[in-house]
Amino acid sequence: MVGNPNCGKTTLFNALTGLRQKVGNYPGVTIEKKIGEAFSQHGRPMKIIDLPGAYSLAARSPDEAVTRDVLLGRRADTPQPDRIICVIDASNLERNLYLVHQILDLGRPVIIALNMMDLAAGNGTRIDHAKLEDELGVPVIPCEAIHGRGLVELRLAMSRAELPLARHSWDVPAPIAAAVAELQASLVDTDGRPPLIARAEALLLLTDFDTLGVAGSTPLSARTLGLLNVWHERWKGQGTDWSATLIKGRYEAINHLCRDVIRRTRVSGPSLSDRVDAVLVHSMWGWVFFGAIMVALFFSIFSLAEYPMNWIDGWIAALGTWVQSAMAPGDLRDLLTDGVIGGVGGIVIFLPQILILFFFVGLLESTGYMARAAFLMDRPMSKVGLHGKSFIPLLGSYACAIPGIMATRTIENAKDRLVTILVAPLMSCSARLPVYLLMIATLLPSETVPTATKVGIMLGMYVLGTAGAFGFAWLFKRTLLRSAPALMILELPPYQPPRFKEILRQMLERGWLFLKNAGTIILGISIVLWFLTAYPKHPDPAVTADVQIAASYAGQAGHLIEPLIKPLGFDWRIGIGLVTSFAAREVFVSSMGVIFGVEGAEDDMSPLRDTLRSATWPDGAALFTPLVCVVLMIYYVFAMQCMSTIAIVKRETNSWRWPLFQVAYMTGTAWLVCFLVYQAGRLAGY
Amino acid sequence: MTGRVCRLTGDESFCQRIREMGFGEASLVTKISGHTTSLCMVNGTRLALNHDAARCILVEHLPAGAR
Repeated sequence: MVGNPNCGKTTLFNALTGLRQKVGNYPGVTIEKKIGEAFSQHGRPMKIIDLPGAYSLAARSPDEAVTRDVLLGRRADTPQPDRIICVIDASNLERNLYLVHQILDLGRPVIIALNMMDLAAGNGTRIDHAKLEDELGVPVIPCEAIHGRGLVELRLAMSRAELPLARHSWDVPAPIAAAVAELQASLVDTDGRPPLIARAEALLLLTDFDTLGVAGSTPLSARTLGLLNVWHERWKGQGTDWSATLIKGRYEAINHLCRDVIRRTRVSGPSLSDRVDAVLVHSMWGWVFFGAIMVALFFSIFSLAEYPMNWIDGWIAALGTWVQSAMAPGDLRDLLTDGVIGGVGGIVIFLPQILILFFFVGLLESTGYMARAAFLMDRPMSKVGLHGKSFIPLLGSYACAIPGIMATRTIENAKDRLVTILVAPLMSCSARLPVYLLMIATLLPSETVPTATKVGIMLGMYVLGTAGAFGFAWLFKRTLLRSAPALMILELPPYQPPRFKEILRQMLERGWLFLKNAGTIILGISIVLWFLTAYPKHPDPAVTADVQIAASYAGQAGHLIEPLIKPLGFDWRIGIGLVTSFAAREVFVSSMGVIFGVEGAEDDMSPLRDTLRSATWPDGAALFTPLVCVVLMIYYVFAMQCMSTIAIVKRETNSWRWPLFQVAYMTGTAWLVCFLVYQAGRLAGY
Repeated sequence: MTGRVCRLTGDESFCQRIREMGFGEASLVTKISGHTTSLCMVNGTRLALNHDAARCILVEHLPAGAR
C-alpha cells in the first residue's frame, strides 16, 4: 500500500486489517513499513504492507527509501509485493498520479484506491473513475477510508485471481532511451533484476544520482555503477538536465490523462482551511494562538486532573491501610506497603495528567495543526540552522522522545536529522511530568498558591527545555555537524474536525503503556530498591527508619555518590533517585516513595509531598528547599535519564557513538547548570 | 498574489523534488501568507517554503486578467 504522504494509506490499512496503527493529519506519520493481515472476499488471508508516504520513487529521506526499496525488491527482509495498492488523494489527483506513473513503470499488478472522494467533491471536483480505469487499464476503486466506504469493492479487486497489467505507456525522451536500455541490460545481467523493474530502476538511477546515497539499499554491481558514471559525466558535459526533462514528460502524460478524467463543477473560492490559516499562521495571531494552546494544556493538567487524582490517591491510601490492618507486621508487609504500594502507587496517581497531555497532542495531530506549528516555528528554527520540518519531531517529543526521534526519518538532510535526534530528548516528555508535578507540589502548598503560579513554573520548565534544544542545535550546526542551510518544502494538509475516537484510542494506548511501565519496570525497581533500603538490617532493631536506610546497601551506595551531587544541593537519598531513574525519569517519584515512605504506620500513606517537605539534612536544615526543588526540576530538564531513548538513538544512528555523546553532553549540562543555579541561589540567600 | 514559475535555481535535488510535487516551471502559484516562511498554493496544495527555498523559485507576477 503506497501513496503520497497524508493521503489516507494508514486509515485504509487499519480499515482493511482491523489493526490500529497511528494515523494523523500531517505528512510523515508512518515512517516504517507496517504489516497486517486482511482476508479476501473468499476468506483467503492476504498480507498487507503499509509503506511510508512518498512523493516519488526518487527517495529524499530514509522513510521514502523504505518505500522505494520494498517496491523495487531491494530489501532483504521484505519480498517484493505481489500487488501494489496505490492510494491516491482524489482532491489532488495530478500530483498523486506522479508516483502512480512511476509505479506503473514497474510492470506489476496495480490497484488504485481513489481515496478522499468526499473532499474532492467538496472542492467542486468530479472524477470519472471509470474513465481513469479505462485509460490506465488497472482497477480504480473510489473510496472514503475514513467513513469505510468503498472497502468491499477494494476487497473484491484485491481478491481477483489475476489482475490486468497497466496499459500505461509513455515515451522516454529519445536521447535518454539508449542509456536506459544499456543500464537496464546491466541491471538484468549483473544485478539480477527482472526486466521491467530494471527499466524503472534505470530511469531512477539515471535521473537521480542521489538514490545511491540513501542508506538501506542493496549495493549495485561495479559494472552498473561504471555505466552510470559514464552517462552522468556525458550529460554533465552536455549541460543537459535530463531529470527535469523526464519529470516534465511524466507530468505532460498525466495532464493529458486528467483532461478527460477530471471535471471541475465550480471554481471554489478560499476554503475553510484558507480562512482558518489566515489566523493560525498569521505572523502575530498565529503565535497568540500557539501560546493559548500551551497555556490551556498546562491549566488542564493542574485543574482538570485534580479530581481523578484525588480519587486515585484515596484508593491507594485505602489499599495501603487495608494491607496494614490485614497483615501481621514484618518484611512481607513492609515490601507490599513501602515497596509496591509506595512505589507504584506514587506514580499511578499521575495517570490523569498523562492522559490530558496525550489528549492535547492528539488534538494537534488530528486537526492538522502540527504542520502549522512547524510553519510557525520555521523562523526561530532557521536562526539555529534547522528548518520547520525538524519541529514536528521536536513537538512530538513533548509526548515521548522515542516516536519523536523516529519521526526524524522524514528529514532529508542527514546532518539536520542527526542534530534533531541529538536535541529531541531535551523537549520535556511526559515522563518528566510526574517529577515536575511532585517538585511543584513540594515547592508550593496548594492551599496558598494560585494555580497560575504553578502553571507558570511548569511552562517555564518546558520553555527551558525547548530553549536548551534550540541552543544545542545552534551549537551543533556550527561545530560538529556543520552544513549549508537546508531548504524546506512542507505540505500543509486541509484542517479536519478532530477524530475523537482516534484521539481516545491513542490516549488509552499511552495510558495503558504508562500503567504497564508502572506494573513492570517501576514495580521491579521499587521492589529491588525496597530490598536495598531494607537490608542489611541494622543490628539494633529499634533504630529509626532514617538510620536503617543510611546503613542499608542503598544508603551506602548513596553516600558514595553524595560528594558528586552535594554541590547541587542534593543529598544521598536524592542521589539514589537520580541513579534509579536512569531507567526512566518517572522512576524518581516511585524511588522517593520507597526511600521516604519507610517509617511504617499511618504516616506511610500521607502524600509524598508532605514527607518530602519535612525531610532534613543531618543538621536539621530542610532538604527540599524551594531552591533545591527548582534545581531538581532543572536537572530533569537537561539530564539524559531514559534507557529506551538511548536504545532508539543507537538504532537510528547505527552507532553507539551518538547515544553516548548524548548522555555525556546532556547530563554534563544538567550538572553544570544545576551547580550554577544552586550556588548562585545560595549566594543570593535562598 | 498569483504568479507563474519561470525558473528554478538551487541544488539539483531540491529542484527535482519540487518539480515532482508539481511546482515546476510554468506552474501557477498563489502566495497565501508569510514573510520569511511563505505559504503558497500550487495545484490545490498548500505548501510551506522557508526563506532559502523560496529564493530558489523565480516567479513572474501575473496580472488578474492573465490568469
